[in-house]
Amino acid sequence: MEPELEPPQLQFRSAEMGCAFDDFHGLISTPQVTGGSSFTALLELAPPQAVELLVTEDFPAKQPLPPPIFPTDIGLIHRASKFSVFASADNSMESNTILSVSNSIPVKQEDLDADSRRNSSSPAGSDQSLKSGKRKEREKKLKESNKKSKSKAANDDGEELPYVHVRARRGQATDSHSLAERARREKINARMKLLQELVPGCNKISGTAMVLDEIINHVQALQRQVEFLSMRLAAVSPGIDFDLDSLFTVNGSSNDNSYSGMLAPPICTEGQLDGARQLQLQQLWHCDELHQSVWARETDTSNFIAPANSLLSYDSTSANSGKPVAPRCTTS
Amino acid sequence: MKARSSLKQEFLEKWRKGLQIGRNDSTILERKDAIKLSADVAIAATRNAATRWRRALLCDVVSKNPTNKHVVEQILGHKLKNTAATTRLTTACRRRILRRGQNYRRRKRNKRSRALRKLVPGGEEMDGVLLLQETLDYIVSLRAQVDVMRRLAAIT
Repeated sequence: MEPELEPPQLQFRSAEMGCAFDDFHGLISTPQVTGGSSFTALLELAPPQAVELLVTEDFPAKQPLPPPIFPTDIGLIHRASKFSVFASADNSMESNTILSVSNSIPVKQEDLDADSRRNSSSPAGSDQSLKSGKRKEREKKLKESNKKSKSKAANDDGEELPYVHVRARRGQATDSHSLAERARREKINARMKLLQELVPGCNKISGTAMVLDEIINHVQALQRQVEFLSMRLAAVSPGIDFDLDSLFTVNGSSNDNSYSGMLAPPICTEGQLDGARQLQLQQLWHCDELHQSVWARETDTSNFIAPANSLLSYDSTSANSGKPVAPRCTTS
Repeated sequence: MKARSSLKQEFLEKWRKGLQIGRNDSTILERKDAIKLSADVAIAATRNAATRWRRALLCDVVSKNPTNKHVVEQILGHKLKNTAATTRLTTACRRRILRRGQNYRRRKRNKRSRALRKLVPGGEEMDGVLLLQETLDYIVSLRAQVDVMRRLAAIT
């Protein structure tokens, strides 16, 4: 349907949506490798959760792939894995693999060390004690070998960090206030970088103000999508409690392949495949009258979502949600 | 069913739990509000992380409509007792924010961070660093929520 859109779309969506298309398996495998470097780097951000969240469960083979792909992003992994808010105790396995990966690659970070240490201490991550202990040991070793460190592990950072005497870089003040300012700015810049990787299309934008704009747009768009989708779900069936129950058991009980098998026919509409549309039509036949009311609303809101997203990859994502509606309207 | 405790599956489970409460909804708007409420509470209850926006969201939900408390508690699995903690955090964070000085670029940034604070639940009481951090987590969770809801909508 939109072959020209697919490459950029797939680079992002394949990693993000984790949609389970058998047809997409072949298409996705290559772009995922290239698109993965920046995006799956972010997957390490929420180490276990995001890996499962953003890489589909259907591609379990792909999960070992991400770590070797980005040697340059190891700093990102370091930083990201320090976000104790995102990790949980269940997934110590995966985070340990991430740690071992980051261990094997030689790192020379100045800010990142400090940042990550600050990151690990400041958020209230109680699950993290074991992991952050390991990480801090490694970081301290790295830090001591690093002479030009300009981090200030200030007292306000937390009880775990010792007070460190720093040697300032050439041309920069050693005033405690400016050091604190610098440290804070470094923190903010690090988080900004991570956000840039998360929000599509922010990589090219320079300047924090514009990036913040994009972030705001993205959050707004996501919130509007939630509204819209909940309206759509409410309209779909009056007896929503019963239906959802059965649907959820279908969704929840399926695992990996069965999940894909169950969802592949309807979700193929998002992939815009012709053959699947027929399947979808058959499935929707019995829900025909239910959809009547939804169509009018959906055509409105599909226009309403598209302008909100100025970015191509996200455009195609949201356009897809509008697209399956149109053929449904005309053909059935 | 929770063989792989992924974010999305966890969200789905909690969402389903919330929807099982079964309210008497006749109009579409009521139903949509119920669905959205369950979805929001479910996504805020995932992952066992005590980030600010989650707590703020749950507190907002409860304060807007006290009858929602049942939904929240059912999904969470335990009683809500965070309200006192959040108010204490509020005053501390507010002090931290007010201490920041004036700067031209900062003024430019402030306009946008104000906008961001309005979007992220509980954003009013976060300082700059925390705001970005919470936004990051919030975006990831929102994305998961949207993805699951979209799949469900595509099936039905």
